[in-house]
Amino acid sequence: MRASKVGLVLLACAVAGAAAAPMVAPHTPDQQYRALLDAPPTVPHVIDDDGAWHAPFIHPWVLANRLEQTFNQDRSTRVPLAWFSGGTLVRSTDDERAPLMLLGTDSFGRDVFSRLLYGARTSLGLAALAALAALAIGAVVGGIAGYAGGIVDDVLMRASEFVLVLPAIYVVLALRAVLPLVLSATQVFLLLVIIFGVVGAPLVARGVRGIVRSERGLEYAIAARSLGASHSRLLLRHLLPATSGFLVVQCTLLVPAFIVAEATLSYVGLGFPDPIASWGQMLHDASNVRALADFPWLLSPAVAIFVVVLALNLLLQDRRAAARYTGPM
Amino acid sequence: MAVYLTRRLVFAVLLIFIVSSASLVLTRLAPGDFAMVTLGVDARPELLEQTRARYGLDRSIAAQYRDWLSHAVRLDFGQSMQHGVPVAGLVAGAAANTAILAVTALSAATLIGLPLGIIAGSKGGTAASHAIRAISIVALSTPSLLTSLILLVVAARTGWFPVGDMRSAGVSTTTDLLWHLVLPATALALPIAAMFERLQAQAMSEAIAQPFVLAAVGRGVPRSRVVWRGALKAALRPTMAIYGLVIGALLSGSFAVEAVTSWPGLGQLMLNALRARDIYLVAGCAAAGSMFLAVGTLLSDVALAVVDPRARE
Amino acid sequence: MAQERALDLVGRLTMGQLVRINRATWDIEPWLAESWTRSTDGLQYTLKLRPNVTFSDGHPFTADDVVFSFEALYDEKTSSPISETVRVGGKPLRVDASGPLTVVVTFPSPFGPGLRLLDNVWILPKHRLAAALKQGTFARAWGLNTPPEELAGLGPFVLEKFEPGQRLSFVRNPHYWRTTADGKRLPSLDRVILEVVPEQDAETLRLQSGQSDLIATELRTSDYAPLKRLADAGQISLVDVGDGYDADSFWMNLKPGVFGGDPRASWIQKDELRRAISMAVDRELFLNTVYLGAGAPVFGPITAANKKWYASGVPHEAHDPAGARQLLASIGLVDRNGDGMLEDARNHPARFTLLTQKGRSDRERAVAVIRDQLKTIGLTVDVVMLDFLEVVKRIYSGNYEAIYLGAPATDVDPASNLDFWLSSGAQHFWNPSQKTPATEWERRIDDLMAKQIATTDDSTRRDLFDEIQRIFAEHQPAVYFAAPHVFVATSSRVTHITPSLIPPQVLWAADTIQVR
Repeated sequence: MRASKVGLVLLACAVAGAAAAPMVAPHTPDQQYRALLDAPPTVPHVIDDDGAWHAPFIHPWVLANRLEQTFNQDRSTRVPLAWFSGGTLVRSTDDERAPLMLLGTDSFGRDVFSRLLYGARTSLGLAALAALAALAIGAVVGGIAGYAGGIVDDVLMRASEFVLVLPAIYVVLALRAVLPLVLSATQVFLLLVIIFGVVGAPLVARGVRGIVRSERGLEYAIAARSLGASHSRLLLRHLLPATSGFLVVQCTLLVPAFIVAEATLSYVGLGFPDPIASWGQMLHDASNVRALADFPWLLSPAVAIFVVVLALNLLLQDRRAAARYTGPM
Repeated sequence: MAVYLTRRLVFAVLLIFIVSSASLVLTRLAPGDFAMVTLGVDARPELLEQTRARYGLDRSIAAQYRDWLSHAVRLDFGQSMQHGVPVAGLVAGAAANTAILAVTALSAATLIGLPLGIIAGSKGGTAASHAIRAISIVALSTPSLLTSLILLVVAARTGWFPVGDMRSAGVSTTTDLLWHLVLPATALALPIAAMFERLQAQAMSEAIAQPFVLAAVGRGVPRSRVVWRGALKAALRPTMAIYGLVIGALLSGSFAVEAVTSWPGLGQLMLNALRARDIYLVAGCAAAGSMFLAVGTLLSDVALAVVDPRARE
Repeated sequence: MAQERALDLVGRLTMGQLVRINRATWDIEPWLAESWTRSTDGLQYTLKLRPNVTFSDGHPFTADDVVFSFEALYDEKTSSPISETVRVGGKPLRVDASGPLTVVVTFPSPFGPGLRLLDNVWILPKHRLAAALKQGTFARAWGLNTPPEELAGLGPFVLEKFEPGQRLSFVRNPHYWRTTADGKRLPSLDRVILEVVPEQDAETLRLQSGQSDLIATELRTSDYAPLKRLADAGQISLVDVGDGYDADSFWMNLKPGVFGGDPRASWIQKDELRRAISMAVDRELFLNTVYLGAGAPVFGPITAANKKWYASGVPHEAHDPAGARQLLASIGLVDRNGDGMLEDARNHPARFTLLTQKGRSDRERAVAVIRDQLKTIGLTVDVVMLDFLEVVKRIYSGNYEAIYLGAPATDVDPASNLDFWLSSGAQHFWNPSQKTPATEWERRIDDLMAKQIATTDDSTRRDLFDEIQRIFAEHQPAVYFAAPHVFVATSSRVTHITPSLIPPQVLWAADTIQVR
């Protein structure tokens, strides 16, 4: 059980960070520092180069070569940090010359750490809702297919295969042309939840169907039917809960997939508009040789995604299997 | 059994037909057409019209679809507008290349993911299971675009593997092919292996907790035998159920991997076809993709039936 | 190399022209035509063809092939993309053979650029394609899928193998006519392999690992730093070619009536709006953000890099946000409610949509800069990034408000870009293919352009074109901000390249490239 507690704590931190983004983030997600494009992180120190202790401070980065995007750290200057000022938890006292960039800046000069926090709202919110939608749709479809069997099963499974094999990108490309040109962030959000929910459902449905089919032949199920349990009761109370382990794993798979897929769909025009931060797009912009070699801090969304998915998995997948075994015992 | 197989076959053909039709229509509906792509932003309207007429793009969607359909049933899938060669040949070649990649990736993913999942699931709570879980989640959280790029950078820096492509120019040995295969297959296999591992771990830990396991161990049967004989069969169920669909995931995963490593497969062909609005090629690629999937689901249903007799029709 | 370039590169490597425009010096060079004379009325050119030249299949090259090539070019059934461009005033050129090695080209009316027009025309083998032309199947006769043995050209290389979507292999043409100054046979290379690499990052990695010798796609600003490191380490060669000719532009939809009942119609198509936009954007800032400082600020479609045609005397407005606000006030856009953003006389916010293509990081950064700069003078811009073809479709159908995009030039001479300058042209983006000029200044440009093409006197042409640039700057149908610097990278074993600012930057002179 300890592992799941760790998961809960991690997840709570992530959600709290996302919710409290305006207060925790030192900058807004669209704040650009034009002299600091792709700048490295400003690491807070407490000991200066001479060994003396100070309140937490940072050294400013100075542009050395604009084209090559190299910076020199001005170790002679100490810029102390200000706490609980300007509406945020912590920031630099000299924002113009030496802004606090815990994870460096991106190619527009925007603070990666702040965008990570704000992006959590967008991406985690989207991925969570979409995953729930996919799991719900998949469980219903798979449950009915597995339980009813026969022609219903065939039709539902073939329909879900159709959804699976038709590349979503074709649909979205054609769809985008008929949607209004300017889409608000909320509209994009809802559209993506629907699209991802539909696209993610088939894999879920198939697994659920397989499990339900096996379970319905077990003694306890037959016994329950003979005792007069209705179809829906059997399905909801006994058969579907048997799929909970599978659904949990699917959740672990769907969340990161959806976060990343948002970036892919933005290529055909259906993504969150700039300058809204989203982990998927941040990671996509960082997926090039230059970033890997020279600006590794841009890949922090990958670490963030890892932490969230790990937390989710620890929390959900560690429940003792026996606890949910709802047989006739 | 024969009835079952026939029914599945019929459905498969229907699926292929519907998917390729839908792709053709959707690509026609998407903004732009091949004439615009080849002639560019600056083309004169008359030239555009001429080119459209040459490729039959000036007809209505319905007319073009009817025409395509009448040829398709005779197994003539038209010509690619971009390349000027018959669609069937192009698609077959690319599909074969993707098949090589996909089968390798799938085998690697199975060989790595399943055993690791079994270990993680049956030995829950140990350092090994935590480590395996952590590695899996790393593989799941990293998009395949990034993974392929990282692998390419490693290849470029170390020179151990070629930087992309399927073969070296003018060489056609199998060794050369295998050497080129390592990178893209790894990039493709990692998330699939992680998926298998997680599913297997979950199923395994559930199976272990079943009363019959406890009973068998109580009777004196060595635990490992119980794990490997009894629990395993039950635990393979959910994995086998989606094994076929994993092929669908492979196909979409191959888009990014093939693009970055320039592996001349179906994913790349499909993306380029869509970009160029090469409708007949798009339809052909979608048909090939659904064929993959149809075969995959059939295999998966057979595997499921083998593993779990209760699920047999 | 990206897939879309394949056909063009095949032509360049395997075919030859009568005269060639040297893409480094921009002068015409004798090519398959050894020399020529011009008649006194300027309408007729008599070209002497090079003797003893054969096609790659050994068949001799004669004036008949030239006549045939033009016949095929103008044939309706061919629908060649250049059949409209190789015309003067819409009329085709007349090409006759007056001897086995003499060709007479007659222009229908005086044409300033003269033989430059012929740089586009590949000379095709009559013996191979005459039948197809007669039967009307010429358009389909040669494609990428034609077996290489059937192709015959006058270029330095011959297509050996074509693997669709993967690679193109060329071997040297043993019958290539050109030799170096000291008599050595060209091309110096025995074999050229062009590989289709969809991701530009992968191209760079291949160069680094030595797997490829040249990147045929234009380098992006972000590619510079890692390549410079490799060049300093001696692994590759990085050549600085100079400031580019091309800049992307911002333009608004100027089709009359397209805004119909929209309340913004009273101000959205006015010149003052675009001039204000030009004044509001700090081009230094733009250059530093979008191109990391590597490039030059530009104010019109012709940049200073185009030394021959750039009109240095044309005044342009400096960065002046206050002046921009004044201009906007003069067309009724004032901050009426104190929120910092402008509204028009009927209180509608000064707001419009700006489209660009998704996937080009320089354009994405550029529109972000434009949006932010315009915000400082009170204009709200909604940026929408779409699939490239959707943007193109909207340009053709006129269904947009503002667009930021660009199209690369092919020649420095403005006459090669008539479609952009003339109001009837398809590339006259803000209002293409007009039947009659919609505005007075467009009519003036049409007239001046027509005069400019018709004179053969260079200084007159330049004066006329200077005036055109002046009119353009006054009305700013399109606003230009910065042109990036151009770099070319090759592996260190490649020598003797002649880099050009316009793509294909290295392969245009493939015959002289050597490797160690």
